[in-house]
Amino acid sequence: MSNGASSGGVLADSASTRTFLWVCMGPVLVFLLIVAIAPMTLAIVDSLRELSLTSLTKRGQFIGLDNYRDLIATDSKFYAAIAHTAIFMAVVVPVEFVLGLMIALWLNREFAGRRLVLTIIMIPTMIAPVVVGMIWRFFLMPSFGVLTVYLNRIGLFEDTSVFSGPVTAFGALMIIDIWEWTPFIMLIMLAGLSAVPRAPIEAATLDGASRWQILRHIELPMLVPLIIIALMLRAIDASKIFDTIHVLTGGGPGNATEVIATFAYRTNFLTWNLGYGAAVCLVLAFASLVMAALFYKIVSGKAPTQEAA
Amino acid sequence: MLRRNWVTFLVPLVLLLGVALIPYIWILLASFKERVDLITPDPKWVFEPTVVNYVEIFGRGFDVFLLNSIIIGFSSTALTVIVGTMAAYGFSRFKIPAGNHLFFLILATRLGPPVAYALPMYLVFDAFGLVNSHFAVILAHATFNLVLVVWMMRSFFNDVPREIEEAAYLDGCGHFRVFWRFAIPMTYPGLVAVMIFVFIFSWNELLFALILSGGETRTLPVMIPSLVLHTGTLWGQVAAASIIQSIPVLIFIFFIQKKLVQGLTFGAVKG
Repeated sequence: MSNGASSGGVLADSASTRTFLWVCMGPVLVFLLIVAIAPMTLAIVDSLRELSLTSLTKRGQFIGLDNYRDLIATDSKFYAAIAHTAIFMAVVVPVEFVLGLMIALWLNREFAGRRLVLTIIMIPTMIAPVVVGMIWRFFLMPSFGVLTVYLNRIGLFEDTSVFSGPVTAFGALMIIDIWEWTPFIMLIMLAGLSAVPRAPIEAATLDGASRWQILRHIELPMLVPLIIIALMLRAIDASKIFDTIHVLTGGGPGNATEVIATFAYRTNFLTWNLGYGAAVCLVLAFASLVMAALFYKIVSGKAPTQEAA
Repeated sequence: MLRRNWVTFLVPLVLLLGVALIPYIWILLASFKERVDLITPDPKWVFEPTVVNYVEIFGRGFDVFLLNSIIIGFSSTALTVIVGTMAAYGFSRFKIPAGNHLFFLILATRLGPPVAYALPMYLVFDAFGLVNSHFAVILAHATFNLVLVVWMMRSFFNDVPREIEEAAYLDGCGHFRVFWRFAIPMTYPGLVAVMIFVFIFSWNELLFALILSGGETRTLPVMIPSLVLHTGTLWGQVAAASIIQSIPVLIFIFFIQKKLVQGLTFGAVKG
């Protein structure tokens, strides 16, 4: 992204400017060195070692790329976690998008108490994900959870709990994610819709255009940049889902709801397989760098028009 | 006609608010329930309220964890905002050598799965004996919030006309004075919103706190699931702790609603 700095003028190169530049950028450079560069370097070194805190034989011998080879060539649990994450994203992101857009289209008007209404709708997105997880755990608790009780009354889940079956557990996690994040999409779409100029819509209405035609030919095209941002942010966040799954299923039953983040967490901090875990983390970090590059390109692609204003 | 419009608007609105709110209301009610009203196959919407859960969580060190959350929230917010705002000003006003790469690196720290960065951080903090300290969690939270501060503040600084600062500079103000006396006051409302966001994200964060804190340094999001015991979950206390944890968040979203969309999208969308 071009940072739009003036290369000439009074703020141009001089000794005091250069000093000030170091004052500005020095702290962030030191900071990144401590929290990003150093940790990553250490992780790369450890990923080349056989290191486990629970094994007496794995004391940190260098084994080259064996951890990576084992992970990429043979670890079926790793691929299962990737598959689960991909399925999860493929379901929740489109559903959240359609629902969020529909709600935004419908709420895009002035009414009394709008601020309070939006605050309430944003509750699922804004409260801590771990609290979301606990709320739903309480809601769906076997036998006594209020939702379980009402589901039982209509004859569902009478002999089994929602989180004991692989399919129902995964489905429940998806529904909870949709509950949690649809408001996020709605908020972005609402921001976009309120910026759509009224004139073309009014003109189209006078010409007899239907609501659908207005949406299809006027509103949606104008929303495209925002839709891309919303979908990308949602996809990135969905790929990282951890808190609610950690609290609700811990990746179970079996490994039915094991996603990338819970897999990496288990490898490192439950089985303490740190060498192998470091390899997992670095593969994930690399994949996310590619995602970040894509996101950066798309977001900065639309930046010049925004900054030209 | 007008009346019918109101009905077709209000009915779905109430449904929508119900879906968003009822799970939260249910945990709010639970926080005021005795154990007999909590664990019952006959859900109680009306009951005799009690504050016993709110009293009991303090017996489990809730005050310590609350204080940890506050200390970590405020410290990491201060650290991120100072480091991030300076950098954002630099990015906005000057040509930074390799600036694009630096900007990208800052973004990358946030877009990856936190667990991928948590282990490397754990290794470093462990080497310095800093695991289970506030400091480790503060640094970790500051890291994933840095991109938010840099991106949002940069866009706020970009919106401030440069001419005022250039005039001040010509009048003999130093760069730092120009930054402090002109740039900061003109972006102040945005800065406050950014601080609130950074605080909420730190306040709500689970994974880094789970890995890097322990025992006496745990935060509220780590404490709440720890009330799930082998002998059964202390639901009343879970509810009470969850309600207290979420109250500041609810207050903040009401007051920064205009900036909400901007904060949730790293400043990519303007509200």
